Amino acid sequence: MRVRGLFLFRRYHLFVFIILLLLAALVLMSLRAKQRKGIEFFDALLMEVCSPFQKASTVVIKTVQGTFHQYVFLVNLEKENRRLKQKVAELETENHQMEEMKLANERLRQLLQFRAKNSPSMVGAEVIGQDPSSWFKSVTIDKGERDGVKLGMAVVSPTGVIGQILKTAPHCATVLLITDYNSAVDSIVQRTRAKAIVEGKGESRCQLKYLLRTEEVAVGDVVVTSGLGGNFPKGLMVGEVKKVDKKGHGVFQYAELVPSVDFAQLEEVFVIMEPLPSSPPREEKGKKVKKGKK
Amino acid sequence: MKRVILPFLVGILFLILQTTWLSSFPTHRLRPDLLFIFTLYLAFLFPPIFGGILAFFMGYLLDLFSGNTFGFYTFSRPLVFLAAQFFKERFYLEGFTFQFLFAFIFGVLEGILIFMLMNTLQPIPLGNLYPLLFTFLLPQSFFTGLATPLLFFLFQKGSSLLFSQPGQGIKEKGYRP
Repeated sequence: MRVRGLFLFRRYHLFVFIILLLLAALVLMSLRAKQRKGIEFFDALLMEVCSPFQKASTVVIKTVQGTFHQYVFLVNLEKENRRLKQKVAELETENHQMEEMKLANERLRQLLQFRAKNSPSMVGAEVIGQDPSSWFKSVTIDKGERDGVKLGMAVVSPTGVIGQILKTAPHCATVLLITDYNSAVDSIVQRTRAKAIVEGKGESRCQLKYLLRTEEVAVGDVVVTSGLGGNFPKGLMVGEVKKVDKKGHGVFQYAELVPSVDFAQLEEVFVIMEPLPSSPPREEKGKKVKKGKK
Repeated sequence: MKRVILPFLVGILFLILQTTWLSSFPTHRLRPDLLFIFTLYLAFLFPPIFGGILAFFMGYLLDLFSGNTFGFYTFSRPLVFLAAQFFKERFYLEGFTFQFLFAFIFGVLEGILIFMLMNTLQPIPLGNLYPLLFTFLLPQSFFTGLATPLLFFLFQKGSSLLFSQPGQGIKEKGYRP
């Protein structure tokens, strides 16, 4: 009997392996769906291994891009002007560096002002990687659990809301952007105080959902966080209404939103470390973690 | 040992390139999926069991660094690998056109699978996702297809050099248990 079992296993081992592999993937999917996490230790280990390389790669790419923009493109000029061009290139490089420093200075000053104004319990982080898949919207930042970053924490910038922490490792974390389909933020239209949920729509766009049809909303209206979700402070800019659609019938109207943050240019962000004092208790494990959704 | 460790390292390298270098281009949404091409190539280089585990790992890596909360790629990448294993000897795969088509078709099929999983598991209205099939999936698969012959060539050269087996690679047509 045992010999027969062994024979069958040998004969069908490939088939058994395929089933096991796909089952493992399905179990993982189910784990992620239920608890919003995979195998924590393994996840953290892999993220820790990859993030220093991501950081180094980002630095190299930025340096190379800077060099190309400021120097290499200037090389192919007329011969008689080469010396002068070289001088110009050197000066431009210097100028570029100073400009970069000035911009960084301005950015950091803005960040400091923003931090002082909004919440003292924020930690600044640098974006070190983008989402490897084009279906989803996330970025990797260089701050993790060791810096106090936890799942669900809000991530913002002086120009507005960015998203929330989705996965963490000791020294890095993944941020789910507000433009991702999984994202939802409780918000209000600044002018009319109409409540709605801002959901991601991909392609650097969001949509306003559950916005009552009776509420007056117009193109150009600014949408800010309501503070009701617990993670985002009240009054942070989310975006601007670009299109309003009443869809003929129904209780709700829909609006398309352009986020105030340019996600393609994202370099530095802030993680809000403490939930606001008025925060409701966190949602139970296993329930959908759509922050701000009530 | 080299044959075990190297593919994992190459996978990590491609992930880093995908999240940093390829994302730095202005058309970063329409970038070739290096890990996908590598997963396809694994089907030619490795036996189903080890290759399957590698493909699983590649999918897991992709899920880990993406905003994908369900782990779709951990499921789809082994499937892509197994399908590529199944079809690799049934199609002529030498030359630019065939390799391009192979990757393009597999890219579109994986996209449709992810699309279906997203629709099944996430409460997203269908209307929001359908345009993506044309604005994103087809161009993305096209770029992935374009990059495939070049990367297959590089993988082939690389694997021949590293494993000192000139016949290894796409021409070997995989492993027969």
